[in-house]
Formats: sequence, structure tokens, C-alpha cells
Amino acid sequence: MKKLRWVLVLCFTFSCFGTGWASDTIKIGFNAPLTGFAASDGKSSTLGAKLAIKQINEAGGINGKNLELIVYDDQAKASQSIPIANKMIGQDKVVVGISGSYSAPTRSAAGIFQEAKIPYISAYAIHPDITKAGDYVFRTSFLGEVQGRAGAKLIGEILGKKRVVMITLKNDFGKSLAAGFKEKAKDFGIHIVNEYEYSIKDRQFGAIVAKVKSDKPDAIYASGYYFTAGPLVSQLRASGVTCTVIGQEGYDSDKFIAIAGKAAEGVIITTSLDRDSKAPETADFIREFEKLAGYPADMVAASAHTAVKVAALAIKQANSTDPEKIRDEIAGISLKASTGTIEFNSLGEVSKNVQNQIVKNGEWHRHSVISDPKLLAPPEK
Amino acid sequence: MLFIELFIQGLIQGSTYAIIAVGLTLVYGLLRVLHVAHAGLFTLGAYLGVAVTNQTGSLSLGILVAALAAGIVGMGIYRLVYEPMLNKPPYVALIASIGLYIGMEELFRLVFGPFGLSFSSAPLQTVVVVFGIHLRACQIIAVVTNVVLLGGLAWVAQKTRIGTGWRATVDDPQMSACFGIDPIKVRYRVFFAGSALAAVAGVLVALLTNLVEPTMGAVPSYKSLAIIVLGGLGNVMGTLIASLILGIIEAFGTIYIGDFLDRDAIAFAFLIIVLMIKPTGLFTSR
Repeated sequence: MKKLRWVLVLCFTFSCFGTGWASDTIKIGFNAPLTGFAASDGKSSTLGAKLAIKQINEAGGINGKNLELIVYDDQAKASQSIPIANKMIGQDKVVVGISGSYSAPTRSAAGIFQEAKIPYISAYAIHPDITKAGDYVFRTSFLGEVQGRAGAKLIGEILGKKRVVMITLKNDFGKSLAAGFKEKAKDFGIHIVNEYEYSIKDRQFGAIVAKVKSDKPDAIYASGYYFTAGPLVSQLRASGVTCTVIGQEGYDSDKFIAIAGKAAEGVIITTSLDRDSKAPETADFIREFEKLAGYPADMVAASAHTAVKVAALAIKQANSTDPEKIRDEIAGISLKASTGTIEFNSLGEVSKNVQNQIVKNGEWHRHSVISDPKLLAPPEK
Repeated sequence: MLFIELFIQGLIQGSTYAIIAVGLTLVYGLLRVLHVAHAGLFTLGAYLGVAVTNQTGSLSLGILVAALAAGIVGMGIYRLVYEPMLNKPPYVALIASIGLYIGMEELFRLVFGPFGLSFSSAPLQTVVVVFGIHLRACQIIAVVTNVVLLGGLAWVAQKTRIGTGWRATVDDPQMSACFGIDPIKVRYRVFFAGSALAAVAGVLVALLTNLVEPTMGAVPSYKSLAIIVLGGLGNVMGTLIASLILGIIEAFGTIYIGDFLDRDAIAFAFLIIVLMIKPTGLFTSR
């Protein structure tokens, strides 16, 4: 009986230690699509976030405590991200939430974080409504519209192409890119010959390609992700369309080059990761990510990495886990990260340079940089 | 010119639909089961085809392995999933089939990773220019394969003993059993042939897009259901014609009505219109 009592006392002591240890870490919530159609982006963003956590913890953590990433799979669905957000806030008691996911789930989760007054950072979801959820929501990447405007400048001014066909992906991502592109097209003397839309499930573009060919454009502005853009670009080239194809950060993966093969050569995209960057933050990220993941870095990984670094610096500067203090620190942050310098405006949007990357000899390389604060200015409200 | 090009693109698209849907209609004709997991075998075939081709450098070996493996897995699905449920109402097997398909999707993701798989050097991409129309070798082969495989299937069904046995079992399983036809054997053969065809379609689609993903079966899984209803359930020739018509309608629809109607919605809009006019489908089923 006495022995049993000792065992109970020991168990109790250890269980106290257990909870003691748990509260010794600072929890950051992270939702990403680990299963379903967007699982590849979910994997990259999660690894990017984990790399940032690892780097911070190895450097001694934040104010003596280690960071802990609480990862949930939202399947890129709004219906999944809502219960996940509630769980992160209510059960896990995260001090900051980060979305490594697409626009639809991020929009839904943003409202819940705002209501609970816990800061929430969208790493690469681009829908304008996300930051409109309130003052606790931030975004470390470009808005779709902003990137669309950059695309117009790239085609009309930098490349000097005027007859453009648009091939638009029919979702939040593609639609907001198209809106930004059309808004500025005239300013750069671009004539939009035609616009075609496709669904995210399409991989065979025979009909669109045939029509584009008969339109004889100087350039094609095609929105999409690497898994739609890879087949699209190779089908365009196979049918004899030789004009320049301009994409965006959705293409930004080595998988795009693997799918399109030789057809990928010469494709230019607007993105936020510069492969040829000499900036130590970017070069170090590209090297370390490949070491951790076993495949080359991409935009979503860099964006998630950046978002975690922003959260970590804010917690450090706040010297507290009080969400309100952390929010204030995020709002006033200035951080050089793998995707550029992060500083937020009053709406929680960043303004940074757009990196144009081109495929050369089967690799992404720098083509040009757009640093036009007026063109790239995100909305203030 | 554009008209002809769109027509040809429609035929190519329709050909891949036909090869997938025919297996589904065969299974439905025999068991009255809507075999949604058929699209999982299509994905399995695509993965195996690309993986084996990348390893060995031989596309023919890739297609052979894909067809054999998918055929065997198809027979396994019949034995382990559908056979125990044949006495239950048809929706039981349908629910099992949907569950099986979702499980297969996630299994592919676990085994092959979420990034999808591409040919390390995609075969049959040589471009042939006919009257100004650029066609890749794999596009021509998709149409030819469709004609050969479905023609072969029709020949087997009409002219051989195996085909006669199959048709007899579809018409009246008990009576054909009395004449010495083993209905179980017929079922295994149908599952093997249908699944092997789905695998071939998978490899063809992989050649056309150079991308195999865990979720690539999602669209074919429901679109081929629309096709077999259009073609008259259980009707092979009807399925072929419905597939080609749908492919062509989609090709023109994408360009001319794509602004307000999604390409995948066109199939179902077409289905609704046909069923309103002719509730038995375009072609009466047996």
C-alpha cells in the first residue's frame, strides 16, 4: 500500500512536470492543406514553417522559451479551417495563428482569429478580404491585384509586348490576378485580345490552346499553379505557340519545370522568391530548405518561413505572450526575411518588390525586379 | 481551321473518356453497381505506367505492367468489396465504392507523395504538322488506341465464346448458368478487362499532360457516370459515342460558352437536356 502511494506521488509529480514543460513552449498555430488536391503546397509551406521554428529554437528560442508549431490539416477547405481555428484558440491556446493555406480556408479562419483577438498571419493566400477581417489579421505576401498590376508592367513596359491573351484560372487566385492585370493593362499600352477561363481541375487545354493559336498574341498572361501551368505551357508549345508566357507565384516550383520540360524555357513569372538573391536571409533559406526538405525551395515554403519569422520577432519584441502586445509588435515590425523586407500598412498588408524570375536551362533565375511603390501599393482599407 | 482543330481536340478528349467509361458501363451492365472506385484504378494505372517507364525507359512495359496490375486489383475489388454486398441494395455498394475511391486517393498520396509524378523524359511528344494543325504523337495514339481497344472489345463481345457468355450473363444470369456459363468467371473477366482499360487510359492521360496526381481520378469518376447514363447504361457502343460527343461539346463549349458555364458543368448540362428529352439516354440500354 505504501509503495502504491509513492507511485501515485511520483505520477503526480511527473504530471506536474509534464504540464510545466508544455507551458514552457510558445505555441504557434499553423493550418495547411496536408491532404487533398493542394497537399503539395501544404507540404512545402509546413516544411518552410518548421525550418523557421528549428532555426529560432536552435538559436536559443524566444526569451528563453522554445517555439512549438501546432500543425493542422485544413484540406484547403473553408469548412475545415473554421473548427481548426477554434481548436487552436480554445484548446491549444496558441498566441499567434499562421495560414500556410489557400484563400478560402484562410478567409474563414481569419474572422475567428479576429473575434478572439489573436493575431493571424496569411503566408501566401492572396484574397483581398482576408486582411479586411480586422486589425489582428496580417498578410506577408502580395495581394492578387498587386501581383496582377506587376504582371501588366512586366509585359507592357519591361518586355514591350502589347497584344496579350489572358488565360485565367477560375478561383480567388486567378480572378484577383486578372482584376489587377486588367486595371493597369491600358496604362502600359496593352491590348487584351481575349480572355479564357479554366477550372482548377483542368489538365488538358486542347480547346483553349487551339483558340489562342488563332488569336496570334505577342504574349500570354496565364494564371495558375504549377500543376495546371505545367501541362498548359507544354501544350501551348507543342501546338506551335511560341510567344512569351507570363505566370505568377503559383508557377513558382521546380515541379513546374519538371512537368513542362523544355517548354518551360523562357517562361517568366512574378513572385516573391529570388533564386539568385545575394541577400543572406534569402540565400540561407534556399540552402537550408533544400537540406531539410530534400527538394528545392519554392514560394509557398519561403512565404511560410517568412510568416513564422515575423511572428517570432513580434513575440520577442513584445517580451510577452499577450496577444494584444504581439499584435502591436507585428503591426510595427520591420524584418528582413527570405521573401524581402516585411513592413505592414494600416490594413496589415506588405509592400515589397516583385521578383521576376525566368526559366533558363531548367532552373529559375532572376529576370528583373519591379520596385515601383506606387504601382505595388496595397490598399489601406 | 479553328473549327477543325477544336473538333480534333474534342475527339482526343472524348477518346480518353471512352476508355475510362467503358469499364464502368461493363461493370454496371453485369452487376448493377456504380463502380466509382474505377477512377482509382485509372489513377493507379497512370502512376504505375509513369513509374515503370521512368525506371526501365520502356513505355510499352509501363503500359503492360499498369494494365496487368490494375486488372488484378480490379478483380480483388470485386472479390473483397462488391461480392459480399451483391445481396444488399445497390446504394450499399455505391457508398462502399465512393469510400474506396477516397481511400485510394489518399493511399496514392502517401505512397507517391503529394507532388505528383511526371515522366523524366516524356515519350511520344514528337509534333506532327498536318495541314497546319500541330498534333503530338501521343494525341494521335490516344485516338487510335481508343478505336483499337473498343473495337476489339466489341469484336470479343459479338464474335467469341467468351463474349457470348458475357452477353448471356448480362441478359439472364440464371439461365446462362444453366447452360454451363460460370457467372463468377464472367465477372472476374469483366473486372479485369475494364480495370486494365482504365489503366491504359491513365497512362494515355499521363502522356497528354505529363502529370499524374493522387486526385486525377476525381473528374473522370463523376464525368464517366454521366457518360454511361448518356450512352445507355451497360451499352458499350453507346458509351463510345457519348464520350466522343461529350469531348467535342466540351471543346467547343470551353471556347464559346466557357464564360458562364464551367467545362465540367457542360457534361451535366448536356446530361440533363438529354434525359429531359430521352430518359433512357442517347442509346437505349439492353
